[in-house]
Amino acid sequence: MEIQLKLYGSSKLLSDSETLLIQLPENSNVEKLRNTLTKIISEKHLKSNLTGLSKTAAFFSENDEVVNDNYKLKNKELISIIPPIGGG
Amino acid sequence: MSLHTALVKTEEGKISSEKAKSFIISKKNGAESIFVGRVRNENDGKKVTGVTYDVHDQAVIKSFQSICNDAKNKFDKSAKIFLEHAKGYVPVGEISILIAVGVGHRDEAFKICRYILEEVKHQSPIWKKEHYTEGKEEWLPGHSLRPQEKIK
Repeated sequence: MEIQLKLYGSSKLLSDSETLLIQLPENSNVEKLRNTLTKIISEKHLKSNLTGLSKTAAFFSENDEVVNDNYKLKNKELISIIPPIGGG
Repeated sequence: MSLHTALVKTEEGKISSEKAKSFIISKKNGAESIFVGRVRNENDGKKVTGVTYDVHDQAVIKSFQSICNDAKNKFDKSAKIFLEHAKGYVPVGEISILIAVGVGHRDEAFKICRYILEEVKHQSPIWKKEHYTEGKEEWLPGHSLRPQEKIK
């Protein structure tokens, strides 16, 4: 399965596109997504100062609500990554 | 109407304190409190030229409305509140956030203004990328929306 990860804030360093396609095993949940993201960062983005992002980020479903680590992802689902925030 | 919240795309316009003042004015109100946040030219020893604000539009507007309604319920239900935040690139000296409150008395005016500012910083999905004079840029750290006990 694959999901579309919509990028915000510092996570935009992961791609020049607005979204990043991530391949995951069938029936993956948000915890699996975190682990996969950790791997992607350590393999391709070590210099971008993103270490820790997969732990500190929250994830929003398509209805803009935080989903927990047990949330079952659906194939092609659009998930937003929410790095630590700080407006104002 | 007693509540106005919006994101202002910087390529389309600027946040206006005059608009905010017009919105909150009322003969019922004896106090007005206005907070204006601007981009400053220095942070952590680095010379800043501007800040790009990235936002999750729908979630930010939802959070703004929820925060303002909470403030009214907590301090004064009759308060008139104006809240706007910039989206996009804001150069040094320009407004990034404006909160204006019109209410019966000064104590509630100050408290509502402060409450909204702090809650926006802790609830609204907004991110800052600072741009520096030497051409570098950096996403700033922030407050995680993930429960602290989950971050190991």
